[in-house]
Amino acid sequence: MWNAVCTAAATQPFRELKQLGEFKSVTESPGDNNSVSSKLISMSDAVVQIEDGHNLTFSGFAHSLAPIALVHEIIRQGKKELELTSMGECWAADLLSGAGCLKRVRLSNYMFEGFGRCMNFSRAVQDGVVQAEDYSHFGITSRFMAGALGLSYLPTKVMAGTDILNRITFDHDKYKISECPFTGESYVLVRAVHPDIAFIHASRADEQGNVQLFGSSSIIDEQARSAKKVIVTVEEIVDSEEIARLPELTVIPGFLVHAVVEAPFGAHPAGMYRYYNYDHKHVQEYWEKSRDPATFQEYLQEFVFSSKDHWDYLKKIGLRRLMALRADPLLGY
Amino acid sequence: MGTTTNFTREELMAVAAAQEIQDDEVALIGTGLPMIAAYLAKYTHAPGVTLFFESGIIGSSPKELAIGVGDFRLVSGCVKAAGLYYALSLLQRGVVDLGFLGAAEIDRYGNINSTTIGDYEKPKVRLPGSGGANDIASLAKRVVIIVPHEKRKFPPRCSYVTTPGFLDGPGARERAGLRGAGPVRVITNLAVLGFDDASKQMCLESLHPGISLDEVRDNTGFDLIVPDSITETRTPTGEELRLLRDVIDTEGFYINKT
Repeated sequence: MWNAVCTAAATQPFRELKQLGEFKSVTESPGDNNSVSSKLISMSDAVVQIEDGHNLTFSGFAHSLAPIALVHEIIRQGKKELELTSMGECWAADLLSGAGCLKRVRLSNYMFEGFGRCMNFSRAVQDGVVQAEDYSHFGITSRFMAGALGLSYLPTKVMAGTDILNRITFDHDKYKISECPFTGESYVLVRAVHPDIAFIHASRADEQGNVQLFGSSSIIDEQARSAKKVIVTVEEIVDSEEIARLPELTVIPGFLVHAVVEAPFGAHPAGMYRYYNYDHKHVQEYWEKSRDPATFQEYLQEFVFSSKDHWDYLKKIGLRRLMALRADPLLGY
Repeated sequence: MGTTTNFTREELMAVAAAQEIQDDEVALIGTGLPMIAAYLAKYTHAPGVTLFFESGIIGSSPKELAIGVGDFRLVSGCVKAAGLYYALSLLQRGVVDLGFLGAAEIDRYGNINSTTIGDYEKPKVRLPGSGGANDIASLAKRVVIIVPHEKRKFPPRCSYVTTPGFLDGPGARERAGLRGAGPVRVITNLAVLGFDDASKQMCLESLHPGISLDEVRDNTGFDLIVPDSITETRTPTGEELRLLRDVIDTEGFYINKT
């Protein structure tokens, strides 16, 4: 499949692309090791697991870590009435808002850094199509962390005295104020959250789902540990020996991961540290088109609906463009 | 290092913001002018400042200007690339000396709205939301706010309080259980403002060169406390301008946009 992408737009030798990893077809058998079964599945099979109305969470901070290839597939499969529990995953939220897949969101901030507001999301809230429940970054992340710790709540020192607590849309047990039993200090307690599925885009994984990441990790760890199911898309599949060679890079151990999908350039037009920078020109185009519902539908048609899958999308973006985005090994971007 | 009259308002604001950072402090930096100010402070009087970003990027020494706090340019060469919970739990631990914030609206008590304009559930304009701003204003030892000076951005009371200033007056932060001291400075394109110790209401500290008191009053939606004698905001030095233009924001991304 990847070969097809390369040959279609080949302007540079394939060996350059090989530096990013060994691309294997997902239709291949899980490997020679009969004792451990592979968790490698196709993008379409990953998305089939979402049920309408599910509470989902996605990785992503500004223009990094966004599982955009997966979000495109959600839009293609026409998932509806989704609930999002999120910190700052602007890309997933804005794409799903613009495609009409969302019913309600918990958020602390959606912003296209360097460009402006998330226009599809903003419009959906303004039109009453999507309900928003606001938190601060630390407030919502504490809900994930409570879930990750196996506790029913966590105390925090944020959001007190503000309308984030005063204005409740749908989270009727958004918070409680309580005193520390030891010191009497006042705390805002937030409840654990356990999303149905956490979708994480990371750097690399082996077929058993041991996931590694280069760079800043956003809230991947808290999301993965609190979710009922974890599905990961990665830039490259590597051998288990490579994972074991640098175990300090592992952010999610395989036993917590339900399935892995191979998706090189799976965050495009956002970026992945040490793989490729975000695509400024494409982000600009997206943002301009998202300002009007009609032009955004054209964007979806051009890049999502008329691409039968992620490989087809990459073909559309073009190898020359993708190669130009590749990270400088010294700088990491 | 002589003074010059040949500077822009944004350059003046960046210099004023940089003055808020003291050497060896931990400064939590946001996108935009605060980033320029932090770089300037690091290049001049505060080489020991630790640049700290909510995204979990700590101790950055970027070679190029970043467009946001998640930008890979900040990761490259930083001393720790962690996650957001790590960064913000350190904020809660009390290690952050100074946080910079922006605002869509700011009221007389320094409360900030960055969530909605109009009705909350069906707003006229849905804004990005708190992000780390509420956390920073709740927990940083002091907070500096940078905002364009327009009447609609300075209402008597924010329609939605996303981020706490002094809430509804003296003692309110303590009653709510907030730890930090709250906002100490508001830097606009017209003036530098502070907060009156007794009433916790916004007061004028200095006017930018060429700006009249009437102009500031006309662009503020509430009565500012004005001291008996008004000073003028310090103008940038030649060296500060050189750093801003030739080293920090060479392409005019944040200041002197073309």
